[in-house]
Amino acid sequence: MTTYTVYKEQLPGLFEKWSRKYALYVPSRLREGFYDLVPWKKDLEIAWDYDVAYNSAKRFVMPPQEALVSFDRRTYEAAAVFEAPKQILFGVHPYDVKALNQLDQLMEGGSPDQNYIRRREATVVMAFEPLTVSASAFWASVGAASVAHGFDLYWTKIGPAAFTVEVGSARGEDLLGMNGPLLASTAGDKEGARRAKARILTKARKNGLRYNWEETPRLLSKCWDSPLWRRYSQMCLACGSCNLVCPTCYCFDIREEADDLLEKGVRFRVWDGCMLESFAKVAGNHNFRPKAQDRYRHRYFRKGKYIYDKIGELGCVGCGRCVRACTAGIANPLKVFNELWEETIHEY
Amino acid sequence: MAKPKIAFFDFAGCEGDQLQIANLEERLLDILGHVEVVSFREVATGHSDDYDVAFVEGSITRPEDEVRLKEIRKNAKVLVALGACAAIGGINCLKNFMAENVYREEVYGAQARWYPTYAARPLKSVVKVDAEVPGCPIDPVEFARLTKELLQGRTPWIPDFPVCVECKQAGNVCRYEMGRMCLGIITRAGCKAACVTQGAHCWGCRGLVPGANLDAARIVMDRAGSDRKATQDLLRFFLGDTGAAL
Repeated sequence: MTTYTVYKEQLPGLFEKWSRKYALYVPSRLREGFYDLVPWKKDLEIAWDYDVAYNSAKRFVMPPQEALVSFDRRTYEAAAVFEAPKQILFGVHPYDVKALNQLDQLMEGGSPDQNYIRRREATVVMAFEPLTVSASAFWASVGAASVAHGFDLYWTKIGPAAFTVEVGSARGEDLLGMNGPLLASTAGDKEGARRAKARILTKARKNGLRYNWEETPRLLSKCWDSPLWRRYSQMCLACGSCNLVCPTCYCFDIREEADDLLEKGVRFRVWDGCMLESFAKVAGNHNFRPKAQDRYRHRYFRKGKYIYDKIGELGCVGCGRCVRACTAGIANPLKVFNELWEETIHEY
Repeated sequence: MAKPKIAFFDFAGCEGDQLQIANLEERLLDILGHVEVVSFREVATGHSDDYDVAFVEGSITRPEDEVRLKEIRKNAKVLVALGACAAIGGINCLKNFMAENVYREEVYGAQARWYPTYAARPLKSVVKVDAEVPGCPIDPVEFARLTKELLQGRTPWIPDFPVCVECKQAGNVCRYEMGRMCLGIITRAGCKAACVTQGAHCWGCRGLVPGANLDAARIVMDRAGSDRKATQDLLRFFLGDTGAAL
């Protein structure tokens, strides 16, 4: 794969060019200790050392609310609604790229989700090797430290003002070359990138699973009746925060609303979550996961087993967002999986 | 089908919820085109006791309110509680934590004994309420949506999850992560997390979410570190008529 070396002084020019054709999002500090991808504007300070983006990249490809169908109540006509703004996500950490890749697989499988696919195709992903690890993150231990695909460009900071940029797609290479010829990375620059990766991996490995992540589905299949589920779920506020901040949770509800003349209307989807009490409520007011314990366990089975059974990887990329978002302090895949491992270790 | 006749009434409250409906402005004409308004004193003069849907604002704070409300209930096919005061008692319930002679003198001074008044309560403590539009004030956009759903013969939908959901949808930084107090964890959503999005915290004006885990919420609020008195004040502000304020 081609790798170029790019210097910091080239960035404002590139950003300016890109932002003419794309909505450009870059990592920035919201307030002390909080970072997010925000719309780029001139002189915005980029938070290169951000630990985790407060909101996951999911909202760019699957917004919290999205129109699907417009309809006419008088003629019974309906038409699909597609919105896919051209956008560049600059500075996405690899675990979030992995989450996007996972969403791709899930949304494209079965009946492909046309709204998702269109948005994803209009989205350029520029990955960035992290420089800091969030205190609640454990991505290095769930196979989410590196990605081999899913990005258009992969940026690694190799010095105070220099980056190597690995090309992941022709589209990415074209964008990078918009301001003139590019400089191929030297062997030294590539070595710098390799070291940067090694450095962050060392930091990231300080917090992790006590076992190989691939054991998780087998571990869970023994833990359906564990007392852990009840112990933690007693504190559950059923607020769905863990679902909604999760970069791989994609469940949604579908609703519709008519216009004020009751002539036309829109069917739209909104984010939903399996930790919300009414998520599993069906016709006749039956709820097949009525207790907090059922819902709590379901989420961990979903992350650790059901997704694995579908696509062979964990439904958790270890970003640690749910750990931070849970006011009750019970959402913590790392802690839950490690505790279950301790509980069952004698059975191995 | 004849247009449903609707009427607005108010008890102890600021009439701010009716004002929110009037604030729909240009949208109001389209929506009101589907109904016949027989009584809405903030928007039009005239009154009739022949109506199908009664929108009732304000809480019940005097014995004679009960008589009037029961009369409204008798006339109306559908009775809708409009706003926090009507739906959950709202801030009027603050007085329920004071001695009767204290609040009566505070409000009516030397003439206190001329005015009968008792503990403030929501409409549902007196009559059967068919639907509630929560919030202080109500969200005009939600009111419009609920009205349209009723007009289409659908079951009106209001969120049955806490404000946290809408905060996450809005991408707000959680108040608890900022070391602040917030009632979003137990409050019914539907406001688009308006207060948090504007930089404040949730006050609980939309009432408790169904199935709110109050025990856990207490622990979470204690951990957030603000003193118990401040927490109690916050819980009594809107949720005085619920178990949360005890």
